[in-house]
Amino acid sequence: MKRKDTGRLAALLNTVSLPVIATILGLLLGALIMFLSGHDPLKVYSVMFDKSFINVNYLNQTLTKATPVIMCGISGAVAWRAGHINLGIEGQMVCGGITAIIIGLYMPGPAFLVTLCACIGACAAGALYALIPTFLQDKSHVSLIMVTLMMNYIANYLSTYLVSFPLKDTSSVNANQTMFIDDSLKFTRLFSNGQLSTGFILSIMTVIAVYLVMNYTSFGYESKMSGFNPYFAKYGGVRERRVMYLTMALSGAVAGFAGFVEVFGTKYRYSSNMIASSGYAWTGLMASLVGQYNPFAILFYSIFFSGLTIGGQALQRDFGIPLQIADIITSSIMLFVSINIGIHLFKAGRKQRTEKKEETGNKTPAKEAA
Amino acid sequence: MPLVELKDITKVYGTLIANDKVSLELNKGEILAVVGENGAGKSTLMKIMYGLEQPTAGEIYVNGEKQKFHDPLDAIGKGIGMVQQHFMLIEQFTVAENIVYSKEPRKGMFFDRAAAIRITEELCEKYGLYIDPREKVKNCPVGLQQRIEILKVLYQEAEILIFDEPSAVLTPQETNQLLDTLRTLAGMGKSIILITHKLNEVFAVADRVVVMRHGQVVGNMPIKETNFDELSFLMVGRQLTSTVIPQVEKGEVCLEVNDLHVTGAGSKEAVDGLSMHVDRGEIVGIAGVSGNGQSELIRAITGLLPVESGNVRINGIEVTNRPPRDIRDSGLSCIPEDRYLWGCAREATLEETCIMYLHNKEPLSTGGWLHKNKIHSFVSDTLEHFDVRYTSVFQKMGELSGGNAQKVVLAREVMQHSPFLIAAEPTRGLDIGAIEYVHHALLEKKKSGDCVLLVSSELSEVMSLSDRIYVMYDGKIAGEFTRENAVEESLGLLMMGGKLNEA
Ligand SMILES: Nc1ncnc2c1ncn2[C@@H]1O[C@H](COP(=O)(O)OP(=O)(O)OP(=O)(O)O)[C@@H](O)[C@H]1O
Ligand SMILES: [Mg+2]
Repeated sequence: MKRKDTGRLAALLNTVSLPVIATILGLLLGALIMFLSGHDPLKVYSVMFDKSFINVNYLNQTLTKATPVIMCGISGAVAWRAGHINLGIEGQMVCGGITAIIIGLYMPGPAFLVTLCACIGACAAGALYALIPTFLQDKSHVSLIMVTLMMNYIANYLSTYLVSFPLKDTSSVNANQTMFIDDSLKFTRLFSNGQLSTGFILSIMTVIAVYLVMNYTSFGYESKMSGFNPYFAKYGGVRERRVMYLTMALSGAVAGFAGFVEVFGTKYRYSSNMIASSGYAWTGLMASLVGQYNPFAILFYSIFFSGLTIGGQALQRDFGIPLQIADIITSSIMLFVSINIGIHLFKAGRKQRTEKKEETGNKTPAKEAA
Repeated sequence: MPLVELKDITKVYGTLIANDKVSLELNKGEILAVVGENGAGKSTLMKIMYGLEQPTAGEIYVNGEKQKFHDPLDAIGKGIGMVQQHFMLIEQFTVAENIVYSKEPRKGMFFDRAAAIRITEELCEKYGLYIDPREKVKNCPVGLQQRIEILKVLYQEAEILIFDEPSAVLTPQETNQLLDTLRTLAGMGKSIILITHKLNEVFAVADRVVVMRHGQVVGNMPIKETNFDELSFLMVGRQLTSTVIPQVEKGEVCLEVNDLHVTGAGSKEAVDGLSMHVDRGEIVGIAGVSGNGQSELIRAITGLLPVESGNVRINGIEVTNRPPRDIRDSGLSCIPEDRYLWGCAREATLEETCIMYLHNKEPLSTGGWLHKNKIHSFVSDTLEHFDVRYTSVFQKMGELSGGNAQKVVLAREVMQHSPFLIAAEPTRGLDIGAIEYVHHALLEKKKSGDCVLLVSSELSEVMSLSDRIYVMYDGKIAGEFTRENAVEESLGLLMMGGKLNEA
């Protein structure tokens, strides 16, 4: 019975091995489909990876696309880890984006001050928008999953209305979009060609910041324990409602921040449907699930999934292979991972259900603790 | 030829060898007791035999034939059944439905309820285990639920029955009934493996006993050729010392409960006008058959259950219906009776489990930031202090043996050095060495001027440690004794709802 601390490494290996296996299986399934549709998988994959991760120009595109995805993934992980399923990241991001564009267009003052206000405003908007369903769940036990999901539509339609009427750039006749923000507000581009901006660096900083909060603060600890076993947390003196509000606010704020970065760093204006149609939030949630709430794994998978899409677009141009192939690969990876996770959750759930009865006999304290 | 033979079974978890070339034989009609300290590898060995875990090396023979069990269904197919400590029953269903579940009698396409009831009645008759087939499981007390589990295993035609610490959740009466059942079953030719930490049970029913330590078998003998002292020595590797009760001056009142009313499950008055007090320098025991409001009382004191009326004061501070954290801040720590429900999270690491409540206090954190180094050394010290068997502080709680998980929860609460400690079933699932250690720790606490409220279904534990004893029956205090005037018979009588006639 030696007390070596190989434990952390072993635990890491455990979390890493499962998505890696799933990724390989996904790639194999993708290869099979390509093979069946008459393409040489090796050639297709080499082009696909070249035109997403290796070639500098494509890598630039990949990272640009990954920037909001990373933050959405982090936003999802913050909530999920604490046992709250936030499917409203998209709506929270929309709120952040709209707030950012309004401040960016209409607030007078020096550029840095406007940027700062837009940033804070976007985070606050995202957080508030996430707190509404949290409040409903807390007060009247409405399902958080359902409400967050539904509120995506509200945010998106509301933003469409705003950019179609009050905020519409009247000089563009066809498109419903706002004007561009001032040049002085736009984020610096990292390279002379390509859209990649300092926004990417901000997303990396978000990863690090959230990692620190989650692992090195007592709030992160309380949030994690509430996710593992709310009864344990409550018994140990965690104020579970306070932790729930804070967690959801943080999750929403990160999503709002993603909206701000998207507007100030990449698009410079808000056009109707721009966030919903990109699917950032859902790709981010995927990365979050596959990365099992580890911020660095989420960073990696966000870039990987974004690269697959960019590479997929290249395939379409070079081979005439439909874009859906890339989607199939991403989805197969997801499928394999979710099978694994599903089995895991099922087992854990079954265990917990039976063990809850242990020693308490048939008295379930669920009601009292709620 | 033995009925079951395990040959050189080895099970390795990462760097830890849970079973190290274990060989074991089970004969027909025999009751074999397996004993050993916490973490010795008993549960692991049984899980392998029942197909829940695959051995790293080694072979299993049933009736001389080599077997490979991929899952419990394979084991059940060979007549091996296990009565889970954590019952796997569906509470909304009736007894009969649960027993025939997964092998239901049918009439055409449909479930044949009448046949299920008949089958259950026949089983009850055959094995002398009586129970109403039509009763819903959720209305059955723990002892009866265990009986349903046994019947279920028998219905699956098990010839070999494995019991992993079956008496841990039972009252003394239920335990006696269980032991009778085991004798009956063995008499009918069934073979039984019984894991237990209670040596009196071993001597009451077993034919042979196997002692495990550090993953190996260190003793295997017929029960007639051994005795209590030899077994306990083999189990813990040292002589047990007798506990000395320190004499301590009583201090001021620490816990005061006045006319407390608490509603339990099913809107029935679980605690019904209860008043009590615990003074500094005292260990106060609560004796009672479980289910008489003890759990609700503890939960109400610790803030996990709302108080209807009455009040609770700790160290002079009014804590009635305060949030758990505030109550703890007033000087309380608590070892909960259900370690996996309240005491920890299976997915949490040992480190995370040990710092609960202390995580936002000096010296483990300042201004919301955790001090990882200090946490690390604090946790290692805590675990070392209570001799927890673990491989790394980053291990998950769910990977610890039952007894070791209990020790972690216990260590955390005792190491908080709060003036007032509630200890609910503190020694449940612990080996005799660890029990001695825990008793010692509780007495130390008393010596340092703190006080302890001890709730235990183990009457001997309550009687040997407590300075004062309350007997609880039906949500009320049925009687109060001091160490000097506590007599087992009177306690037992009050616990069953009887009255003492003052003569
Ligand atoms: N899934 C697992 N992963 C890692 N280690 C494990 C796992 N299951 C058990 N162990 C380790 O194997 C050892 C033996 O555990 P086991 O549960 O068999 O002990 P036990 O004899 O039943 O103890 P107790 O009397 O406390 O129930 C322990 O040190 C435990 O930590
Ligand atoms: Mg065990």
